[in-house]
Amino acid sequence: MTVKDAVYQINDVLHRYAVEPVLRVKSLAIPQAAIVGLIGPNGSGKSTLLRLLGFVEKPSRGEILFKGRPAVPFSKAVRFQVTLLSQEPYLMRRSVLKNIAYGLELRGSRDNLRSRVAEALSWLGLPDEVFADRQWSELSGGEAQRVALAARLVLKPEVLLLDEPTASVDAVSAERIKAAALKARNEWGTTLLIASHDWQWLYEVCDEVLQLFNGQLVGPGRMNIVLGPWQARPDGHWQKVLSGGQKIVTTAPPAADAAAVVDSGKIAVVDACDAGRKRKNILKGTISKLVLEKGSRNTVATLLVDGMSFAIMVPSQRIESLNLYPGREIEIYFNPNSVKWIHQGDKKHFKKPGL
Amino acid sequence: MDFILTGFRMAIELLLHGDAETYSAIFATVRVSSYSMTVSLLTGIPLGFVLGYFRFPGRKQVRVVVDTLLSLPTVFIGLVVYAFLSQRGPLGEWGLLFTLPGIAIGQTILALPVVMALSASAVENMDRQLRVTLISLGVNRRQLLLSSLWEVRHGVLAAALTAYGRVMTEVGISMMVGGNIKWHTRTMTTAIALETNKGLFAMGVALGLVLLAIAFAVNLSVSFLRKRV
Repeated sequence: MTVKDAVYQINDVLHRYAVEPVLRVKSLAIPQAAIVGLIGPNGSGKSTLLRLLGFVEKPSRGEILFKGRPAVPFSKAVRFQVTLLSQEPYLMRRSVLKNIAYGLELRGSRDNLRSRVAEALSWLGLPDEVFADRQWSELSGGEAQRVALAARLVLKPEVLLLDEPTASVDAVSAERIKAAALKARNEWGTTLLIASHDWQWLYEVCDEVLQLFNGQLVGPGRMNIVLGPWQARPDGHWQKVLSGGQKIVTTAPPAADAAAVVDSGKIAVVDACDAGRKRKNILKGTISKLVLEKGSRNTVATLLVDGMSFAIMVPSQRIESLNLYPGREIEIYFNPNSVKWIHQGDKKHFKKPGL
Repeated sequence: MDFILTGFRMAIELLLHGDAETYSAIFATVRVSSYSMTVSLLTGIPLGFVLGYFRFPGRKQVRVVVDTLLSLPTVFIGLVVYAFLSQRGPLGEWGLLFTLPGIAIGQTILALPVVMALSASAVENMDRQLRVTLISLGVNRRQLLLSSLWEVRHGVLAAALTAYGRVMTEVGISMMVGGNIKWHTRTMTTAIALETNKGLFAMGVALGLVLLAIAFAVNLSVSFLRKRV
Protein backbone atom coordinates (compact mmCIF):
# COMPACT_ATOMS: atom_id res chain seq x y z
CA MET A 1 0.00 0.00 0.00
CA THR A 2 1.41 3.40 -0.97
CA VAL A 3 0.97 6.54 1.09
CA LYS A 4 -1.61 7.71 -1.47
CA ASP A 5 -3.69 4.54 -1.03
CA ALA A 6 -3.76 5.01 2.71
CA VAL A 7 -6.35 7.26 4.25
CA TYR A 8 -4.00 7.68 7.22
CA GLN A 9 -0.25 7.42 7.45
CA ILE A 10 1.29 7.89 10.87
CA ASN A 11 4.97 8.73 11.00
CA ASP A 12 6.87 8.48 14.26
CA VAL A 13 4.10 9.87 16.44
CA LEU A 14 4.60 10.42 20.14
CA HIS A 15 1.92 11.94 22.30
CA ARG A 16 2.18 12.97 25.91
CA TYR A 17 -0.04 14.48 28.58
CA ALA A 18 1.97 16.65 30.94
CA VAL A 19 5.42 15.02 30.66
CA GLU A 20 4.41 11.39 30.43
CA PRO A 21 4.26 9.79 26.98
CA VAL A 22 0.97 7.97 26.49
CA LEU A 23 1.31 6.86 22.89
CA ARG A 24 4.19 5.98 20.61
CA VAL A 25 3.53 4.80 17.05
CA LYS A 26 6.52 4.49 14.74
CA SER A 27 4.59 3.87 11.58
CA LEU A 28 1.05 2.90 10.74
CA ALA A 29 -1.01 3.05 7.57
CA ILE A 30 -4.78 2.67 7.45
CA PRO A 31 -6.16 1.74 4.04
CA GLN A 32 -9.22 3.46 2.62
CA ALA A 33 -12.61 1.88 3.30
CA ALA A 34 -11.05 -0.57 5.77
CA ILE A 35 -12.52 -1.55 9.10
CA VAL A 36 -9.72 -1.53 11.62
CA GLY A 37 -10.18 -2.59 15.22
CA LEU A 38 -8.18 -1.34 18.18
CA ILE A 39 -7.97 -3.56 21.19
CA GLY A 40 -6.07 -3.27 24.43
CA PRO A 41 -6.52 -2.83 28.17
CA ASN A 42 -7.63 0.43 29.77
CA GLY A 43 -4.91 3.06 29.51
CA SER A 44 -3.28 1.34 26.54
CA GLY A 45 -3.70 4.39 24.29
CA LYS A 46 -6.73 3.43 22.17
CA SER A 47 -8.71 6.58 22.92
CA THR A 48 -5.63 8.77 22.51
CA LEU A 49 -4.90 7.22 19.12
CA LEU A 50 -8.51 7.83 18.05
CA ARG A 51 -8.39 11.45 19.23
CA LEU A 52 -5.22 12.00 17.21
CA LEU A 53 -6.71 10.31 14.14
CA GLY A 54 -9.88 12.36 14.66
CA PHE A 55 -7.71 15.52 14.67
CA VAL A 56 -9.16 16.55 17.99
CA GLU A 57 -5.63 16.79 19.36
CA LYS A 58 -2.28 17.36 17.72
CA PRO A 59 0.47 14.84 18.48
CA SER A 60 3.30 16.11 20.67
CA ARG A 61 5.74 14.85 18.05
CA GLY A 62 5.56 13.35 14.57
CA GLU A 63 2.97 13.76 11.86
CA ILE A 64 -0.25 12.24 10.69
CA LEU A 65 -0.93 12.31 6.97
CA PHE A 66 -4.54 12.29 5.82
CA LYS A 67 -4.79 11.10 2.22
CA GLY A 68 -1.09 11.76 1.79
CA ARG A 69 -1.08 15.29 3.23
CA PRO A 70 -0.16 16.45 6.72
CA ALA A 71 -3.25 17.47 8.67
CA VAL A 72 -3.87 19.12 12.02
CA PRO A 73 -7.00 19.96 14.06
CA PHE A 74 -9.36 22.42 12.32
CA SER A 75 -7.61 22.01 8.95
CA LYS A 76 -10.00 22.19 6.01
CA ALA A 77 -8.80 18.86 4.64
CA VAL A 78 -10.19 16.94 7.62
CA ARG A 79 -12.86 19.08 9.32
CA PHE A 80 -15.74 17.73 7.28
CA GLN A 81 -14.27 14.31 6.44
CA VAL A 82 -13.39 12.78 9.79
CA THR A 83 -15.71 12.34 12.73
CA LEU A 84 -15.20 10.73 16.12
CA LEU A 85 -17.76 9.23 18.47
CA SER A 86 -16.14 9.24 21.88
CA GLN A 87 -16.75 6.73 24.63
CA GLU A 88 -19.05 9.04 26.57
CA PRO A 89 -20.66 11.04 23.79
CA TYR A 90 -21.90 14.51 24.58
CA LEU A 91 -25.29 15.65 23.41
CA MET A 92 -25.70 19.37 23.21
CA ARG A 93 -28.38 21.02 25.34
CA ARG A 94 -30.97 20.99 22.60
CA SER A 95 -33.43 18.64 20.92
CA VAL A 96 -32.47 15.41 19.18
CA LEU A 97 -33.37 17.03 15.85
CA LYS A 98 -31.05 19.98 16.46
CA ASN A 99 -28.27 17.71 17.73
CA ILE A 100 -28.32 15.61 14.58
CA ALA A 101 -28.78 18.58 12.26
CA TYR A 102 -25.87 20.50 13.84
CA GLY A 103 -23.12 18.94 11.72
CA LEU A 104 -25.16 19.36 8.54
CA GLU A 105 -25.75 23.04 9.33
CA LEU A 106 -22.01 23.55 9.88
CA ARG A 107 -21.53 22.21 6.36
CA GLY A 108 -24.17 24.57 5.01
CA SER A 109 -26.26 21.56 3.99
CA ARG A 110 -29.72 22.69 5.09
CA ASP A 111 -31.93 21.03 2.47
CA ASN A 112 -34.50 18.51 3.74
CA LEU A 113 -32.99 18.60 7.22
CA ARG A 114 -35.97 17.00 8.88
CA SER A 115 -36.17 14.05 6.48
CA ARG A 116 -32.41 13.44 6.63
CA VAL A 117 -32.49 13.48 10.42
CA ALA A 118 -35.45 11.07 10.32
CA GLU A 119 -33.50 8.75 8.03
CA ALA A 120 -30.43 8.82 10.29
CA LEU A 121 -32.58 8.06 13.31
CA SER A 122 -34.17 5.13 11.49
CA TRP A 123 -30.71 3.60 10.88
CA LEU A 124 -30.36 3.39 14.63
CA GLY A 125 -33.88 2.08 15.20
CA LEU A 126 -35.19 5.35 16.68
CA PRO A 127 -38.55 6.45 15.25
CA ASP A 128 -38.40 10.07 14.14
CA GLU A 129 -41.89 10.91 15.36
CA VAL A 130 -40.97 9.73 18.87
CA PHE A 131 -37.42 11.04 19.22
CA ALA A 132 -36.78 14.03 16.93
CA ASP A 133 -38.40 16.60 19.22
CA ARG A 134 -37.20 15.13 22.49
CA GLN A 135 -34.74 17.13 24.51
CA TRP A 136 -31.26 15.75 25.18
CA SER A 137 -32.18 15.25 28.83
CA GLU A 138 -35.12 13.01 27.96
CA LEU A 139 -33.02 10.16 26.56
CA SER A 140 -31.69 7.01 28.20
CA GLY A 141 -27.97 6.20 27.98
CA GLY A 142 -28.45 3.81 25.05
CA GLU A 143 -30.72 6.25 23.21
CA ALA A 144 -28.22 9.09 23.73
CA GLN A 145 -25.43 6.89 22.34
CA ARG A 146 -27.55 6.06 19.29
CA VAL A 147 -28.50 9.71 18.74
CA ALA A 148 -24.82 10.67 18.95
CA LEU A 149 -23.97 8.05 16.33
CA ALA A 150 -26.87 9.25 14.15
CA ALA A 151 -25.38 12.77 14.33
CA ARG A 152 -22.18 11.33 12.82
CA LEU A 153 -23.76 8.98 10.28
CA VAL A 154 -26.00 11.71 8.84
CA LEU A 155 -22.77 13.41 7.69
CA LYS A 156 -21.84 10.31 5.62
CA PRO A 157 -18.21 10.79 6.70
CA GLU A 158 -15.14 9.50 4.93
CA VAL A 159 -13.74 8.31 8.24
CA LEU A 160 -15.75 7.27 11.29
CA LEU A 161 -13.85 6.69 14.53
CA LEU A 162 -15.74 4.85 17.25
CA ASP A 163 -14.41 4.69 20.79
CA GLU A 164 -16.04 1.87 22.73
CA PRO A 165 -19.38 2.42 20.99
CA THR A 166 -21.14 -0.42 22.78
CA ALA A 167 -19.43 -0.25 26.17
CA SER A 168 -22.28 1.17 28.22
CA VAL A 169 -25.41 0.21 26.32
CA ASP A 170 -27.78 -2.75 26.42
CA ALA A 171 -27.68 -5.61 23.95
CA VAL A 172 -30.39 -4.15 21.68
CA SER A 173 -28.66 -0.76 21.42
CA ALA A 174 -25.31 -2.49 20.88
CA GLU A 175 -26.69 -4.48 17.93
CA ARG A 176 -28.22 -1.35 16.38
CA ILE A 177 -24.96 0.55 16.77
CA LYS A 178 -22.93 -2.27 15.23
CA ALA A 179 -25.29 -2.61 12.26
CA ALA A 180 -25.38 1.16 11.62
CA ALA A 181 -21.60 1.46 11.80
CA LEU A 182 -21.16 -1.31 9.25
CA LYS A 183 -23.75 0.32 7.01
CA ALA A 184 -21.43 3.34 6.72
CA ARG A 185 -18.65 1.21 5.28
CA ASN A 186 -20.88 -0.88 3.05
CA GLU A 187 -22.93 1.97 1.57
CA TRP A 188 -20.57 4.97 1.49
CA GLY A 189 -17.14 3.34 1.66
CA THR A 190 -16.44 4.94 5.02
CA THR A 191 -13.19 3.94 6.70
CA LEU A 192 -13.97 2.71 10.20
CA LEU A 193 -11.67 2.56 13.20
CA ILE A 194 -13.26 0.95 16.21
CA ALA A 195 -11.78 0.73 19.69
CA SER A 196 -13.53 -1.90 21.75
CA HIS A 197 -13.11 -4.50 24.45
CA ASP A 198 -15.58 -6.65 22.54
CA TRP A 199 -12.89 -8.51 20.67
CA GLN A 200 -15.34 -11.12 19.46
CA TRP A 201 -17.21 -8.43 17.53
CA LEU A 202 -13.96 -6.85 16.33
CA TYR A 203 -12.68 -10.14 14.94
CA GLU A 204 -16.00 -10.71 13.23
CA VAL A 205 -16.19 -7.34 11.46
CA CYS A 206 -12.69 -5.92 11.16
CA ASP A 207 -10.33 -6.39 8.26
CA GLU A 208 -7.49 -5.96 10.72
CA VAL A 209 -7.25 -5.72 14.49
CA LEU A 210 -4.42 -3.71 16.04
CA GLN A 211 -3.48 -4.39 19.60
CA LEU A 212 -2.20 -1.66 21.87
CA PHE A 213 -0.45 -2.02 25.17
CA ASN A 214 1.21 0.69 27.23
CA GLY A 215 0.81 3.17 24.39
CA GLN A 216 2.51 0.96 21.82
CA LEU A 217 1.22 -1.16 18.99
CA VAL A 218 1.92 -4.81 19.64
CA GLY A 219 -0.05 -6.15 16.70
CA PRO A 220 -1.19 -6.63 14.04
CA GLY A 221 -2.76 -9.88 15.00
CA ARG A 222 -4.00 -11.16 18.25
CA MET A 223 -1.29 -10.93 20.89
CA ASN A 224 -1.34 -12.30 24.41
CA ILE A 225 0.16 -10.01 26.98
CA VAL A 226 1.52 -11.52 30.17
CA LEU A 227 2.41 -9.03 32.87
CA GLY A 228 5.36 -9.55 35.21
CA PRO A 229 6.89 -9.94 37.70
CA TRP A 230 9.27 -12.55 36.28
CA GLN A 231 11.57 -14.77 38.29
CA ALA A 232 14.95 -16.13 37.19
CA ARG A 233 15.27 -19.93 36.90
CA PRO A 234 18.41 -21.99 37.46
CA ASP A 235 18.40 -23.11 33.79
CA GLY A 236 18.87 -19.49 32.57
CA HIS A 237 15.23 -19.00 31.60
CA TRP A 238 12.74 -16.85 33.47
CA GLN A 239 9.27 -17.76 34.61
CA LYS A 240 5.98 -16.47 35.88
CA VAL A 241 4.04 -18.72 38.22
CA LEU A 242 0.30 -18.51 37.64
CA SER A 243 -2.24 -18.61 40.46
CA GLY A 244 -2.89 -22.33 39.89
CA GLY A 245 0.82 -23.21 39.97
CA GLN A 246 1.41 -23.54 36.21
CA LYS A 247 4.54 -21.81 34.90
CA ILE A 248 5.09 -19.63 31.83
CA VAL A 249 8.73 -19.89 30.78
CA THR A 250 10.44 -17.18 28.77
CA THR A 251 13.81 -15.83 27.78
CA ALA A 252 15.38 -13.16 29.99
CA PRO A 253 13.11 -10.08 30.17
CA PRO A 254 14.56 -6.55 29.91
CA ALA A 255 13.26 -5.94 33.45
CA ALA A 256 11.58 -8.13 36.04
CA ASP A 257 8.33 -6.16 35.60
CA ALA A 258 8.34 -6.19 31.78
CA ALA A 259 5.31 -7.47 29.87
CA ALA A 260 5.70 -10.50 27.64
CA VAL A 261 3.97 -10.51 24.26
CA VAL A 262 3.08 -13.93 22.87
CA ASP A 263 1.70 -14.07 19.34
CA SER A 264 -1.49 -16.13 19.24
CA GLY A 265 -0.25 -17.64 15.96
CA LYS A 266 2.80 -19.04 17.72
CA ILE A 267 0.89 -20.98 20.30
CA ALA A 268 0.08 -24.55 19.31
CA VAL A 269 -2.37 -27.07 20.66
CA VAL A 270 -0.79 -30.26 21.99
CA ASP A 271 -2.16 -33.11 19.86
CA ALA A 272 -1.56 -36.86 19.46
CA CYS A 273 1.63 -36.26 17.40
CA ASP A 274 3.19 -34.47 20.37
CA ALA A 275 2.83 -37.47 22.65
CA GLY A 276 6.14 -38.28 24.32
CA ARG A 277 7.86 -35.02 23.24
CA LYS A 278 9.36 -32.92 25.98
CA ARG A 279 8.31 -29.30 25.64
CA LYS A 280 8.64 -26.23 27.78
CA ASN A 281 5.63 -24.06 28.41
CA ILE A 282 2.92 -26.66 28.29
CA LEU A 283 -0.12 -25.02 29.80
CA LYS A 284 -3.40 -26.69 30.57
CA GLY A 285 -6.65 -24.75 30.22
CA THR A 286 -10.29 -24.79 29.20
CA ILE A 287 -11.62 -23.42 25.93
CA SER A 288 -14.10 -20.61 26.62
CA LYS A 289 -14.80 -19.32 23.09
CA LEU A 290 -14.22 -20.06 19.43
CA VAL A 291 -14.53 -17.12 17.05
CA LEU A 292 -14.04 -17.21 13.30
CA GLU A 293 -11.61 -14.49 12.20
CA LYS A 294 -12.94 -12.52 9.26
CA GLY A 295 -11.23 -13.35 5.95
CA SER A 296 -8.31 -15.33 7.36
CA ARG A 297 -9.62 -18.93 7.51
CA ASN A 298 -8.47 -18.97 11.09
CA THR A 299 -10.41 -19.39 14.27
CA VAL A 300 -9.44 -17.65 17.48
CA ALA A 301 -9.79 -19.99 20.44
CA THR A 302 -9.83 -18.41 23.87
CA LEU A 303 -8.40 -20.56 26.60
CA LEU A 304 -8.62 -19.94 30.33
CA VAL A 305 -5.37 -20.96 32.00
CA ASP A 306 -5.42 -20.52 35.78
CA GLY A 307 -7.75 -17.53 35.37
CA MET A 308 -5.63 -15.97 32.63
CA SER A 309 -7.08 -15.68 29.14
CA PHE A 310 -4.98 -16.89 26.20
CA ALA A 311 -5.93 -16.51 22.55
CA ILE A 312 -4.72 -19.15 20.14
CA MET A 313 -4.97 -18.89 16.37
CA VAL A 314 -6.01 -22.23 14.91
CA PRO A 315 -6.58 -22.90 11.19
CA SER A 316 -10.34 -23.38 10.90
CA GLN A 317 -9.99 -26.75 9.13
CA ARG A 318 -8.13 -28.12 12.16
CA ILE A 319 -10.89 -27.28 14.64
CA GLU A 320 -12.65 -30.54 13.89
CA SER A 321 -9.54 -32.76 13.82
CA LEU A 322 -8.34 -31.29 17.11
CA ASN A 323 -11.85 -31.72 18.48
CA LEU A 324 -11.92 -28.18 19.88
CA TYR A 325 -15.10 -26.92 21.44
CA PRO A 326 -15.96 -24.58 24.33
CA GLY A 327 -15.68 -26.33 27.67
CA ARG A 328 -13.04 -28.80 26.55
CA GLU A 329 -9.78 -28.96 28.49
CA ILE A 330 -6.69 -28.92 26.27
CA GLU A 331 -2.94 -28.33 26.49
CA ILE A 332 -1.05 -25.68 24.59
CA TYR A 333 2.60 -24.79 24.24
CA PHE A 334 4.83 -22.10 22.78
CA ASN A 335 8.55 -21.59 22.32
CA PRO A 336 10.07 -19.34 25.03
CA ASN A 337 12.21 -17.74 22.32
CA SER A 338 9.11 -16.49 20.47
CA VAL A 339 8.27 -14.10 23.31
CA LYS A 340 8.68 -10.38 22.67
CA TRP A 341 8.91 -7.80 25.40
CA ILE A 342 7.39 -4.46 26.28
CA HIS A 343 9.13 -2.59 28.98
CA GLN A 344 6.76 -1.54 31.72
CA GLY A 345 8.61 1.68 32.58
CA ASP A 346 6.02 3.86 30.85
CA LYS A 347 3.02 2.40 32.62
CA LYS A 348 1.81 5.28 34.77
CA HIS A 349 -1.40 7.08 35.51
CA PHE A 350 -1.72 9.68 32.84
CA LYS A 351 -3.44 13.02 33.23
CA LYS A 352 -6.23 13.76 30.80
CA PRO A 353 -5.94 16.87 28.65
CA GLY A 354 -7.55 20.14 29.70
CA LEU A 355 -10.27 21.80 27.73
CA MET B 1 -48.14 47.02 64.35
CA ASP B 2 -50.57 49.62 63.09
CA PHE B 3 -47.87 51.81 61.61
CA ILE B 4 -46.61 48.89 59.49
CA LEU B 5 -50.09 48.15 58.13
CA THR B 6 -50.65 51.84 57.52
CA GLY B 7 -47.31 51.92 55.73
CA PHE B 8 -48.43 49.10 53.41
CA ARG B 9 -51.77 50.81 52.69
CA MET B 10 -50.12 54.11 51.93
CA ALA B 11 -47.49 52.39 49.80
CA ILE B 12 -50.20 50.92 47.55
CA GLU B 13 -51.78 54.38 47.28
CA LEU B 14 -48.44 55.97 46.34
CA LEU B 15 -47.90 53.42 43.60
CA LEU B 16 -51.45 53.51 42.27
CA HIS B 17 -51.62 57.30 42.23
CA GLY B 18 -48.27 57.59 40.45
CA ASP B 19 -46.48 59.54 43.21
CA ALA B 20 -43.76 61.49 41.38
CA GLU B 21 -41.08 61.15 44.06
CA THR B 22 -41.57 57.41 44.35
CA TYR B 23 -41.45 56.90 40.59
CA SER B 24 -38.40 59.15 40.28
CA ALA B 25 -36.49 56.75 42.56
CA ILE B 26 -37.79 53.74 40.61
CA PHE B 27 -36.71 55.18 37.24
CA ALA B 28 -33.31 56.24 38.62
CA THR B 29 -32.72 52.68 39.86
CA VAL B 30 -33.78 51.08 36.59
CA ARG B 31 -31.61 53.47 34.58
CA VAL B 32 -28.49 53.09 36.66
CA SER B 33 -28.78 49.30 36.94
CA SER B 34 -29.31 49.06 33.18
CA TYR B 35 -26.08 50.98 32.57
CA SER B 36 -24.04 48.92 34.98
CA MET B 37 -25.49 45.54 33.91
CA THR B 38 -24.96 46.28 30.21
CA VAL B 39 -21.29 47.08 30.76
CA SER B 40 -20.64 44.23 33.18
CA LEU B 41 -22.33 41.62 30.95
CA LEU B 42 -20.64 42.82 27.78
CA THR B 43 -17.20 42.67 29.39
CA GLY B 44 -17.75 40.06 32.13
CA ILE B 45 -19.08 37.20 29.99
CA PRO B 46 -16.18 37.19 27.49
CA LEU B 47 -13.63 37.67 30.28
CA GLY B 48 -15.24 34.92 32.36
CA PHE B 49 -15.24 32.60 29.35
CA VAL B 50 -11.55 33.25 28.72
CA LEU B 51 -10.80 32.68 32.41
CA GLY B 52 -12.71 29.41 32.51
CA TYR B 53 -11.84 28.00 29.09
CA PHE B 54 -8.20 28.77 28.43
CA ARG B 55 -5.14 27.73 30.37
CA PHE B 56 -2.61 30.55 30.51
CA PRO B 57 0.18 31.58 32.88
CA GLY B 58 -1.19 33.45 35.87
CA ARG B 59 -4.72 32.11 35.37
CA LYS B 60 -4.99 30.76 38.91
CA GLN B 61 -3.82 34.06 40.37
CA VAL B 62 -6.35 36.01 38.29
CA ARG B 63 -9.05 33.59 39.45
CA VAL B 64 -8.14 34.17 43.11
CA VAL B 65 -8.32 37.96 42.61
CA VAL B 66 -11.72 37.75 40.83
CA ASP B 67 -13.10 35.41 43.51
CA THR B 68 -11.88 37.77 46.22
CA LEU B 69 -13.62 40.69 44.52
CA LEU B 70 -16.89 38.79 44.86
CA SER B 71 -17.07 39.84 48.47
CA LEU B 72 -16.05 43.45 47.91
CA PRO B 73 -18.07 45.63 50.35
CA THR B 74 -20.25 48.17 48.56
CA VAL B 75 -19.20 50.98 50.90
CA PHE B 76 -15.57 50.31 50.02
CA ILE B 77 -16.37 50.47 46.29
CA GLY B 78 -18.33 53.67 47.03
CA LEU B 79 -15.34 55.11 48.86
CA VAL B 80 -12.86 54.31 46.06
CA VAL B 81 -15.14 55.57 43.28
CA TYR B 82 -15.89 58.70 45.33
CA ALA B 83 -12.16 59.30 45.76
CA PHE B 84 -11.56 58.95 42.02
CA LEU B 85 -14.54 61.08 40.94
CA SER B 86 -14.28 63.82 43.55
CA GLN B 87 -12.86 67.21 42.53
CA ARG B 88 -9.47 66.29 44.00
CA GLY B 89 -9.49 62.81 42.44
CA PRO B 90 -7.81 61.78 39.17
CA LEU B 91 -11.16 61.63 37.34
CA GLY B 92 -12.65 64.69 39.02
CA GLU B 93 -12.80 66.71 35.81
CA TRP B 94 -15.23 64.21 34.31
CA GLY B 95 -17.87 65.66 36.62
CA LEU B 96 -19.46 62.30 37.38
CA LEU B 97 -19.72 62.60 41.16
CA PHE B 98 -23.35 62.72 42.33
CA THR B 99 -24.62 61.57 38.92
CA LEU B 100 -26.29 58.34 37.79
CA PRO B 101 -23.34 57.41 35.49
CA GLY B 102 -21.09 57.83 38.55
CA ILE B 103 -23.22 55.31 40.48
CA ALA B 104 -23.18 53.04 37.41
CA ILE B 105 -19.37 52.98 37.47
CA GLY B 106 -19.42 51.79 41.07
CA GLN B 107 -22.14 49.21 40.38
CA THR B 108 -20.18 47.91 37.38
CA ILE B 109 -17.19 47.34 39.69
CA LEU B 110 -19.59 45.45 41.97
CA ALA B 111 -21.22 43.33 39.24
CA LEU B 112 -18.23 42.58 37.01
CA PRO B 113 -16.49 40.07 39.34
CA VAL B 114 -19.81 38.30 39.91
CA VAL B 115 -20.44 37.89 36.17
CA MET B 116 -16.82 36.91 35.52
CA ALA B 117 -16.44 34.42 38.37
CA LEU B 118 -19.77 32.67 37.86
CA SER B 119 -19.38 32.55 34.06
CA ALA B 120 -15.86 31.13 34.50
CA SER B 121 -17.23 28.48 36.90
CA ALA B 122 -19.95 27.54 34.41
CA VAL B 123 -17.34 27.17 31.67
CA GLU B 124 -14.98 25.20 33.93
CA ASN B 125 -17.78 22.77 34.77
CA MET B 126 -18.55 22.27 31.10
CA ASP B 127 -18.36 18.63 30.04
CA ARG B 128 -14.91 17.81 28.62
CA GLN B 129 -16.55 15.85 25.85
CA LEU B 130 -18.21 18.97 24.45
CA ARG B 131 -14.96 20.12 22.85
CA VAL B 132 -14.31 16.69 21.33
CA THR B 133 -17.90 16.52 20.07
CA LEU B 134 -17.86 19.96 18.49
CA ILE B 135 -14.51 19.43 16.76
CA SER B 136 -15.52 16.01 15.51
CA LEU B 137 -18.72 17.48 14.06
CA GLY B 138 -16.65 19.97 12.05
CA VAL B 139 -16.57 23.33 13.85
CA ASN B 140 -13.91 25.93 13.17
CA ARG B 141 -12.25 27.78 16.05
CA ARG B 142 -14.81 30.60 16.18
CA GLN B 143 -17.74 28.17 16.10
CA LEU B 144 -16.07 26.14 18.84
CA LEU B 145 -16.02 29.14 21.18
CA LEU B 146 -19.53 30.34 20.34
CA SER B 147 -21.10 26.88 20.60
CA SER B 148 -19.28 26.24 23.88
CA LEU B 149 -20.60 29.52 25.27
CA TRP B 150 -24.10 28.64 24.10
CA GLU B 151 -23.88 25.30 25.90
CA VAL B 152 -23.24 27.05 29.22
CA ARG B 153 -25.93 29.67 28.65
CA HIS B 154 -27.91 28.63 31.74
CA GLY B 155 -24.85 29.13 33.94
CA VAL B 156 -24.19 32.53 32.36
CA LEU B 157 -27.84 33.47 32.86
CA ALA B 158 -27.52 32.56 36.54
CA ALA B 159 -24.39 34.73 36.73
CA ALA B 160 -26.27 37.67 35.23
CA LEU B 161 -29.18 37.17 37.60
CA THR B 162 -26.93 37.07 40.66
CA ALA B 163 -25.11 40.21 39.54
CA TYR B 164 -28.42 41.97 38.91
CA GLY B 165 -29.56 41.07 42.40
CA ARG B 166 -26.45 42.65 43.92
CA VAL B 167 -26.75 45.79 41.80
CA MET B 168 -30.44 46.31 42.54
CA THR B 169 -30.08 45.90 46.26
CA GLU B 170 -26.85 47.76 47.03
CA VAL B 171 -27.00 50.96 49.12
CA GLY B 172 -23.37 51.89 49.81
CA ILE B 173 -22.34 52.90 46.29
CA SER B 174 -25.56 54.76 45.51
CA MET B 175 -25.39 56.63 48.78
CA MET B 176 -21.70 57.60 48.63
CA VAL B 177 -21.25 58.22 44.90
CA GLY B 178 -24.81 59.37 44.13
CA GLY B 179 -25.36 61.42 47.28
CA ASN B 180 -29.06 60.46 47.49
CA ILE B 181 -30.16 63.69 45.79
CA LYS B 182 -33.94 63.96 45.49
CA TRP B 183 -35.28 63.85 41.88
CA HIS B 184 -31.75 63.25 40.66
CA THR B 185 -29.69 60.40 42.13
CA ARG B 186 -32.08 59.01 44.72
CA THR B 187 -32.49 55.29 44.02
CA MET B 188 -34.97 52.90 45.58
CA THR B 189 -32.52 51.55 48.17
CA THR B 190 -31.22 54.98 49.26
CA ALA B 191 -34.81 56.27 49.42
CA ILE B 192 -35.85 53.34 51.62
CA ALA B 193 -32.91 54.03 53.96
CA LEU B 194 -33.71 57.74 54.13
CA GLU B 195 -37.48 57.44 54.57
CA THR B 196 -37.06 54.79 57.28
CA ASN B 197 -34.65 57.08 59.13
CA LYS B 198 -37.30 59.80 58.97
CA GLY B 199 -39.89 57.39 60.32
CA LEU B 200 -41.89 57.58 57.07
CA PHE B 201 -42.58 53.98 56.21
CA ALA B 202 -45.00 54.39 53.32
CA MET B 203 -42.55 55.31 50.58
CA GLY B 204 -40.00 52.82 51.96
CA VAL B 205 -42.52 50.00 51.85
CA ALA B 206 -43.74 51.09 48.40
CA LEU B 207 -40.22 50.99 47.02
CA GLY B 208 -39.55 47.70 48.80
CA LEU B 209 -42.61 46.23 47.08
CA VAL B 210 -41.37 47.49 43.71
CA LEU B 211 -37.95 45.92 44.35
CA LEU B 212 -39.66 42.63 45.11
CA ALA B 213 -41.82 42.93 42.01
CA ILE B 214 -38.78 43.61 39.82
CA ALA B 215 -36.93 40.64 41.33
CA PHE B 216 -39.97 38.45 40.73
CA ALA B 217 -40.36 39.66 37.12
CA VAL B 218 -36.66 39.09 36.36
CA ASN B 219 -36.74 35.58 37.85
CA LEU B 220 -39.90 34.77 35.94
CA SER B 221 -38.32 35.95 32.66
CA VAL B 222 -35.15 33.97 33.29
CA SER B 223 -37.15 30.86 34.11
CA PHE B 224 -39.16 31.34 30.90
CA LEU B 225 -35.96 31.87 28.90
CA ARG B 226 -34.42 28.69 30.34
CA LYS B 227 -37.34 26.65 29.12
CA ARG B 228 -37.26 28.24 25.70
CA VAL B 229 -33.54 27.98 24.92
